[in-house]
Amino acid sequence: MSTQKEEETEGADAPVAATEAGADGDALEALVSEHVLEREDHLNAPGFVIRADAVQDVLSTFKEEAGFDHLSCVTAEEHEDRFESIYHLRKYDDPTQEVSVIVPTSREEPVSETAEPVFRTADWHEREAHDLVGVEYDDHPNLERILLPDTWQGHPLGLDYNQDKPQIVTFEENKNPLEDHERAAGDSDTMFLNIGPHHPATHGVLHVETVLDGEQVADVNPDIGYLHRCEEQMAQNGTYRHQIMPYPDRWDYGPGGIINEWAYARAAEDLADIEVPEYAQVLRTMGSELCRIACHMLALGTFCLDIYGDFTAIFMYAMRDREVVQKLLEDLTGQRMMFNYLRLGGVVWDVPEPREEFFENVRDFLDELPERLDEYHDLITGNEIFQARTIDTGVLDAETAKNYGVTGPVARGSGVDYDVRRDDPYGYYEELDWDVVTEDGGDNYSRLLVRMREVEQSARIIEQCIDLLEDWPEDERNIQANVPRTLKPEAGKETYKTVEGAKGELGIYIRADGTEKPGRFKIRSPCFSNLSALKEMSTGEYIPDLVATLGSLDVILGEVDR
Amino acid sequence: MTATPLPDTIADLLGVEGFLGEAVAMLLAAALVGTIMLTMTAFAGPWAKRKITASFTDRISVNRIGPWGLGTIIVDAVRLLSKELVIPEGVDRPAYDIAPIVLAGSALFAFAVIPMGSGIQLADPEVGLVFVFAMASIASLGLLMGGYASNNKYSLLGGLRAVAQNIAYEIPLVLTAASVVLFTGTLQLSEIVAIQQNTTLVTLAGVRIPAWFAFVNPFAFALFLVANLAEVGRNPFDTPEAPTEIVAGYQTEYSSAYFVLFYLGEFVHIFLGGAIIATLFLGGPGGPFLPGFVWFTIKIWAVYLFTQWCRSAIPRVRIDQLIGIGWKGMLVLSFANLVLTAAILGVTGI
Repeated sequence: MSTQKEEETEGADAPVAATEAGADGDALEALVSEHVLEREDHLNAPGFVIRADAVQDVLSTFKEEAGFDHLSCVTAEEHEDRFESIYHLRKYDDPTQEVSVIVPTSREEPVSETAEPVFRTADWHEREAHDLVGVEYDDHPNLERILLPDTWQGHPLGLDYNQDKPQIVTFEENKNPLEDHERAAGDSDTMFLNIGPHHPATHGVLHVETVLDGEQVADVNPDIGYLHRCEEQMAQNGTYRHQIMPYPDRWDYGPGGIINEWAYARAAEDLADIEVPEYAQVLRTMGSELCRIACHMLALGTFCLDIYGDFTAIFMYAMRDREVVQKLLEDLTGQRMMFNYLRLGGVVWDVPEPREEFFENVRDFLDELPERLDEYHDLITGNEIFQARTIDTGVLDAETAKNYGVTGPVARGSGVDYDVRRDDPYGYYEELDWDVVTEDGGDNYSRLLVRMREVEQSARIIEQCIDLLEDWPEDERNIQANVPRTLKPEAGKETYKTVEGAKGELGIYIRADGTEKPGRFKIRSPCFSNLSALKEMSTGEYIPDLVATLGSLDVILGEVDR
Repeated sequence: MTATPLPDTIADLLGVEGFLGEAVAMLLAAALVGTIMLTMTAFAGPWAKRKITASFTDRISVNRIGPWGLGTIIVDAVRLLSKELVIPEGVDRPAYDIAPIVLAGSALFAFAVIPMGSGIQLADPEVGLVFVFAMASIASLGLLMGGYASNNKYSLLGGLRAVAQNIAYEIPLVLTAASVVLFTGTLQLSEIVAIQQNTTLVTLAGVRIPAWFAFVNPFAFALFLVANLAEVGRNPFDTPEAPTEIVAGYQTEYSSAYFVLFYLGEFVHIFLGGAIIATLFLGGPGGPFLPGFVWFTIKIWAVYLFTQWCRSAIPRVRIDQLIGIGWKGMLVLSFANLVLTAAILGVTGI
């Protein structure tokens, strides 16, 4: 496979505890043995239960000595007898090397040490855990609610949370929710500016608290949660087999629906041990890449909207081409955005009849695509003013990106060679011929280039899928494995699986509790982690660059807030 | 080519005399010019702008009301004027109210001295060109008042940007115009037009090409076009409004009739920019076959089309880049243009 990453870990520097088949639990345990209370392996990784005051010790040991430099996700959950925070660690060089660090705390005093000094990304993830589940993190720099309003009472994913109790906040208490955010009058050298939640450039309901020094950004702090729809809780209330699959379409509605569905399918199939037929894998791969093109077209259009300033030619061109993809997706799935196309063990139906017509439509689109992209390069990337605006603005270096858990085109634009499709292969990607795109600039321009070049790669993948589908023998077109009507994975089984979404690593953690519904369902949103790096990228720049940087991150608020 | 100013023509037609008669004729003439400009704006704002942008961006745009969607003009006017006039708390009252009037008024005022052809010119003072620039610059004051009085941080940023931008680009604009004055030796607009129209550049196959300054000095013409884009605040220089950055800049807090005035002022300004370009560089109302006024209208609409084209196709520069281009690029180039023109004129003795 041409996509195999060069072996960077050869020689004396090879991190300890790495084997061919994933992380070597025993060797890892030896590293931190004094803190480990017990082993509790997950399906995807070895898991270590540690004391609540040793979080930083353990995580930094894993980071420094074993090379686990990517804190992918932090899951918190409440059990009958304890609270638990789970840190899902992996490596940017090889995401199949995984380890879970489980930190239990008592129900009476759920305080655990923060991981923020080791991984900056833990800041937001722990705030979310605190907000929704109610775990306290000692020494956390800013342990406020992140998704729910500051006035919210209770922690909705906790066991004793009463959903029927109305949230009563008196008018006086919440007269001006932003009052505390204003600064003292004495601090008059700078100006505090609320960008959003209703602002033309926030791509949804995002509120960016900005401190300005003249036109320059002195400080910036994204305030999220306006689009929080309790997606995790809704998934926990649905049955594995059918009731969860429609929800992922509502996360990244870029429309990255099929990719999102695949994230859930991958985790649930791992949990229930379901094999997906090859034919269905090809269909899934093709659908995902169509979604990726549509997402990147939207990203391109809206990014240019931020730079050009109006609904200009390039935005409309991008929409026009995205429309073609949406038409194809509609032919395939019957829907334009909320596809609900995947099923556990396969997909819901085959390519629409007449097959030739569908294949021809896809081929027409692929044939025209290079010409379209040339047009974009003429209009956008070749334009001097555009280059002046985007090159060397919103710079994110590779180390900072890793520290913030940044993934996807944003990380690849900073030279982080990381793509789950290649590094932790799923679906049919391993069998196909394509490349992972990276750029070294780390600026807004690089991120745009990565997206535009990824569209070409996606087109390559789709083309090969179409060839495969066309030649597939008719009696072997198996679109779904045999899956029982009711799935009840045994209690205590836990897994964390990721796919490469259009915005980055989209992960799902599921803990089975022996019923037909998940005990805990956690979504690791790539946009959530990417957005947390905004402060690093924009401080010291001008307002227009802040807006452009936000656009280049390509956040979908539906996925950030879930 | 110098025609009698419009008020005198009207006075003659009506046969009125004396101070009162002149005043009536003046008012009638002013009303006529105002009506012409407002009609053009009415076409440009709700209708032509949409149609032009739609053509650039592969869309259809208004086509439901009346032929080619022209009824939209009336519908839009009613819609805009029937909206509630929201005046936010804490605005600086007189300034907040005066700003839209200053903006719309200043641009209309400048049209008083523009020769529009077919004898339509309200007055023809000897300092015509200076008067036009003076009037057009007052608009900056309106923008600053609006931005500062609105009690809104976005408006404030927009107002500050507008002033910084206008100062940076007014100077190259005036200097480039001065290079035209070097040719003509007069500031009187009717004279400038007449000299362009009556001098022959070359005669090709029996067709006389007049010495329009766009042909004589294309460099100055290009400079003026660019500086004018900044002056009227269109892409790549639309930073004072910059919808995706500072919402709507100085006009964020304006609604209903005030908003209409701002909107109108902006369009009249674009037309004024077109009128100055037509007068200085494109021979004013001059042209073959068609009446002068028609030619004049065609020329200012061509400039309008150019601004809309830029708006659709060119990214916006950042405010610091914009100031940099103005002071470090445009200013130097316009001085070079002025000095070169002076030197060449001095040597050749034209």
